[in-house]
Amino acid sequence: MIKDAVCSFCGCLCDDINVEVEDGKVKRVRHACRLGSSKIMGHDRMQSPMIRKDGVLVASSFQEAYDRAAQILLQASKPLMYGWASTSCEAAKKGILLAEEVGAVLDSTATVCHGPSVIGIEEKGLPGATLGQVKNRADTIVFWGCNPAEAHPRHSLRYSSNSCGRFTPQGREGRKIIVIDVRETKTAKNADKFVRITPGSDYEVISALRMLVAGKGDTVPDEVGGVPKVDLADLADMLKAAKFGAVFFGLGITHSRGRYKNIDNALSLVAELNSHTKFVIMPMRGHYNVGGIGQVLAWSSGYPMSVDFTRGGPYFNPGETAACDLLARGDADAALIIAADAVSNFPRATAKALANIPVIQIDPYENPTTLLSDVVIPCAVVGVEVEGTAYRMDGLALRLRKMVDSSFPSDEEILMGILESVHKQRQLKANEGA
Amino acid sequence: MIIKGGIVYDPANGIYGDEMDLFIDKGRMALQAKGEVIDASGLLVMPGGVDAHTHIAGKKVNTGRIMSPNDSRQGTEPRSAVCRPSTGYTVPNCYAMGYRYARMGYTTAFEAATPILEARHTHEELEEIPIIDKGALTLFGSNWQVMECVRDKDLSKLAAYVAWGLRSARGYGVKIVNPGGGEAWGFGANVKGINDTVPNFDVTPAEIIMGLAKANEMLHLPHSIHLHFNNLGKPGNYTTAIETLDLLKDIKPSRMRQIVHVAHMQFSAYGGTSWRDFESKAPVIADYFNAHSHATMDMGQMLFGSATTMTADAPLEYGNARLTHNKWSNHDIELEESSGVVPMNYFRKMLVNAVQWAIGLELALLVNDPWKVLMTTDHPNGSPFVNYPEVITLLMSKPKRDAEIATLHEQVPKRTTLAGIERELDWTDISIMTRAAPARVLGLDDKGHLGPGADGDVSIYNLRPLEVDTSLDHAIVKKALATAKYTIKGGVLVSKEGQILATPPGRTFWVDAAVPQADTDRLMIDLEEKFAKYYSIQIANYAVQDAYLPHAKVIRAGLPILSEVA
Amino acid sequence: MRTITITPKKAFRISVEAENISPDKFASLNIEQIKSLTVWQGNRKIMLSDLFTVEGDDAPDKAEETTIRLAGDFFQVKRIGEGMTAGVVEVQGSIGMHAGNNMKGGLLSIAGNADDWLAREMRGGKVVVMGNAGNYAGGGYRGEKCGMRGGEIEVKGSAGAYLGEHLCGGSIRIGGDAGDFPGAANQGGTIFIGGSTYLPGAEMSKGTITVKGEAKVLPSFQRLEIVQIDGLAFQKYAGDNVDNGKGELLVGVGSS
Repeated sequence: MIKDAVCSFCGCLCDDINVEVEDGKVKRVRHACRLGSSKIMGHDRMQSPMIRKDGVLVASSFQEAYDRAAQILLQASKPLMYGWASTSCEAAKKGILLAEEVGAVLDSTATVCHGPSVIGIEEKGLPGATLGQVKNRADTIVFWGCNPAEAHPRHSLRYSSNSCGRFTPQGREGRKIIVIDVRETKTAKNADKFVRITPGSDYEVISALRMLVAGKGDTVPDEVGGVPKVDLADLADMLKAAKFGAVFFGLGITHSRGRYKNIDNALSLVAELNSHTKFVIMPMRGHYNVGGIGQVLAWSSGYPMSVDFTRGGPYFNPGETAACDLLARGDADAALIIAADAVSNFPRATAKALANIPVIQIDPYENPTTLLSDVVIPCAVVGVEVEGTAYRMDGLALRLRKMVDSSFPSDEEILMGILESVHKQRQLKANEGA
Repeated sequence: MIIKGGIVYDPANGIYGDEMDLFIDKGRMALQAKGEVIDASGLLVMPGGVDAHTHIAGKKVNTGRIMSPNDSRQGTEPRSAVCRPSTGYTVPNCYAMGYRYARMGYTTAFEAATPILEARHTHEELEEIPIIDKGALTLFGSNWQVMECVRDKDLSKLAAYVAWGLRSARGYGVKIVNPGGGEAWGFGANVKGINDTVPNFDVTPAEIIMGLAKANEMLHLPHSIHLHFNNLGKPGNYTTAIETLDLLKDIKPSRMRQIVHVAHMQFSAYGGTSWRDFESKAPVIADYFNAHSHATMDMGQMLFGSATTMTADAPLEYGNARLTHNKWSNHDIELEESSGVVPMNYFRKMLVNAVQWAIGLELALLVNDPWKVLMTTDHPNGSPFVNYPEVITLLMSKPKRDAEIATLHEQVPKRTTLAGIERELDWTDISIMTRAAPARVLGLDDKGHLGPGADGDVSIYNLRPLEVDTSLDHAIVKKALATAKYTIKGGVLVSKEGQILATPPGRTFWVDAAVPQADTDRLMIDLEEKFAKYYSIQIANYAVQDAYLPHAKVIRAGLPILSEVA
Repeated sequence: MRTITITPKKAFRISVEAENISPDKFASLNIEQIKSLTVWQGNRKIMLSDLFTVEGDDAPDKAEETTIRLAGDFFQVKRIGEGMTAGVVEVQGSIGMHAGNNMKGGLLSIAGNADDWLAREMRGGKVVVMGNAGNYAGGGYRGEKCGMRGGEIEVKGSAGAYLGEHLCGGSIRIGGDAGDFPGAANQGGTIFIGGSTYLPGAEMSKGTITVKGEAKVLPSFQRLEIVQIDGLAFQKYAGDNVDNGKGELLVGVGSS
């Protein structure tokens, strides 16, 4: 019985999971939600590396796969190394080393998720806290454009709406839960107040709230974003009356009209609320370690995502150096997709671009990206078969356990294998030239 | 390795500019050695620099990077055969941190503040910083367990917690920042003085400081408590500084060192009642340090240009952001601390900034004993560490100071005494303030000096100390100090004339303090309850694991162990 | 007057970074030397002549006497004219991202369209685009308080989103529509949009934005009086009041 294991599914990084292991296999998982349980229990996976030959994926050895991957990366002028959200920081470090070595662009799944949040933070900063602060202090919680009841099932009990803490012994009873969204979600059904806004109107609604919070409501028109001013004024009052407020937000606001401007504005709203009372804001990170790749990339290169290493000095410009930008413009001539299912999560045009370039996939499981891949390398599952570090949605680092052995190499080992092959191939080429 | 003919300043061993050879054997200073010969004839030689207060690793540093791509794009250097890429000016990436310290002749740097819960992150970053040796101080001043022990006057449980906290965080020493204020900030408030009661906890900052100081000495920790005063950054706060120092003057140190090290004294030497009548009280502070021997300070010098303020004094950072309309990051850490990050700019023509600039220098020049004053800029709060040569030359050259003062707001002479100070520091003073004293203040026995057995960390500068006039030729001095001719770390030549030649990993120092099991048992009852009810993680996942310190250097401390009679 | 014509030898698949194509960079060089200048294509460091033919007057001359003609498709070529202080860059077709980055003087004229980040962080000089401009025209770099500080940009066609973000000085004139959030966080300068746009001047603190067509205006802008400019009626607004901004926004009120 393994106690207090960390779940490697979503940004909640629940660390109270108990796992029964028998005969080297995971038999039962306790305390995890169904998403996490399913991840830890595991399912059918790829058994062997494969290389595409004459249009067909054929089984190969790991070394052959590393060599072919290295060859693809070396031949490319602008390879993209994408994903990283479902593997460890240790693997990320090796990935960055490889990107520096071959001159690649490295990006994470933030590009289709909380990338706009990062850009907003670059404008305004992030007034935040750890999840335990929300648990112990928050009497008012806002969920804006996110639906934790379905996407982060244990968030409410462990950290937010239904949690109990030192200054919040009444739990849900002592809290006001507010949901702001374009439709009534499962989370909204359990809220004290649901504010439905017109799709694409988040920015204006936030500006109106800022005005109302600052006592400048006279300027605000009678209706903003489909919400009557009187309702917005009520909302502003609720926020100001909080003893400790927390705003959680998700894709509903990062990917609707306005994008990073929405986050930018929300960050300012929260900063301004701090002149009246205490308020914090936090993005609901999706994948369990999208936070981690951001942290590792930032301390390694200065930037948390979309880093172009092609000219040797890191260059950051989302809109130009993000994965979707490159693929949509046909400005990448090879891709390494690791710990992410690009084909499923990219906009269609971007996913289609992957069909035109050589693709290397590193993943335990077959998924639509496999169909477009030219080299496929199965890996061990971090948090079940491999130890490693991950960062929770509030930036807290935890160590994931190894619970069972695996015959598969870890992402870290695979990336090192490719890097070694890159060095060898470079050395051979240099010798030929000499 | 043999270093021939240098003009050596090794004040800890009574060497003040003697021409002598130095020997390094197996990474340590020795009386004899063979091997590579470095010709240092006539050149300035000192132990490798020791930075005792700098913010180089952890959540707030990385937040500084993430929120400032405009800073990261400065100082971009591509990778080379030896080096990873560098980026950043006030918030360099990890690789730049190591290379830039090494190029300047520094070989040790200690991260000033780490919350226990997030120490894993700090160690991940420290491990990525090449070359230099490092350590991290651990925050205790707004911690629930600490405040409860202090409230209950349970000193032995407090000591057990400090030991447990240092072990969990793999920390080196006890850091206290705006004690009590970090907890008050949990609901957006602050403490106003050392006798103010912390809401919900029934203790005062004075009690927290006293308790931790006593626990620190009970544990025989190598370093004293390291203290960032309450009311930092406020006009008139010099009274808080004096009050706080007076609290501690009768505590007996457990080692030959200070009882309290004051962080970035400049920010707490302010007079006036508002920003309008803001003035320096450095002379009063300096008088206090001259009259007492229980405290040391580091300067926290502010220089004009850009900086990033980052501190566990979260209310201060919020205030900074509101005052300057700059972007603001805040991070409160459950049960333990608060912190904030705000990029700032300091201007010559802004009177307040000009006076702040003068205060740091006044402090260093008015305190008589250089062993009490460490040269720092509280990187990156006052200025990035790459600007240390600017600070050093200001201390060594009155003409340089006069030229600078002439460019500042014209009210400056009315608010500080700097213009009237004639003293110019010499190489003995500087080698004490940047090498010997930081090592002694931190309790690092093998650093900051060149006696046999010391770590083989040596810096050699392209400067002839017997010939150069440090007062008139300050420009030459500054240029030489910015790029060491040779930097040697652990007996390995790591930097030559600004080029990094090798990037061996440095070691991370941390303190493992022993306490009676009975006290730890009592402590665990409290902690188990806190994890069960309040923390958002399990106690089993809390402490930093061995995997994060592949290059650890453990220093033992603690209560003397009583041997059992069989 | 020195004229140099540059033509791509083939179509580019991977974008090219050619910050060395600028009157300042060419000034003291002859044609052979210009051909040897570095350009980057992804992680490949190559010579200008590997990708382009270079023809024209051989004798080196001052930047202000230099005209560079770009003939052919340059839509995949970035950073042309970066930092130029004088002279002329005449693009006969379309141009890639970051054309005229950090420009301080001279003229950048584009017959076709300009890709994103046209004249980012411009300081002086003039940019004219006969076609359309992409996103972030006249914008800044992420995280900086100020982007464009001076100079003139004129786009006859339309512009994309985030036009003149963080504008601190200078003027931008767009003949057609502009995408979402023009003039965001502006602290000075003037923007004129001949067509329509969406939520102009978000968080602006100073400066003027004029929209001849229609615009959705933020709820934080104070509606003032109707003013007449050159015989056309505009609704005047003050804002952005979320930040006590003192910016001026003028939005057309139908055709008169």
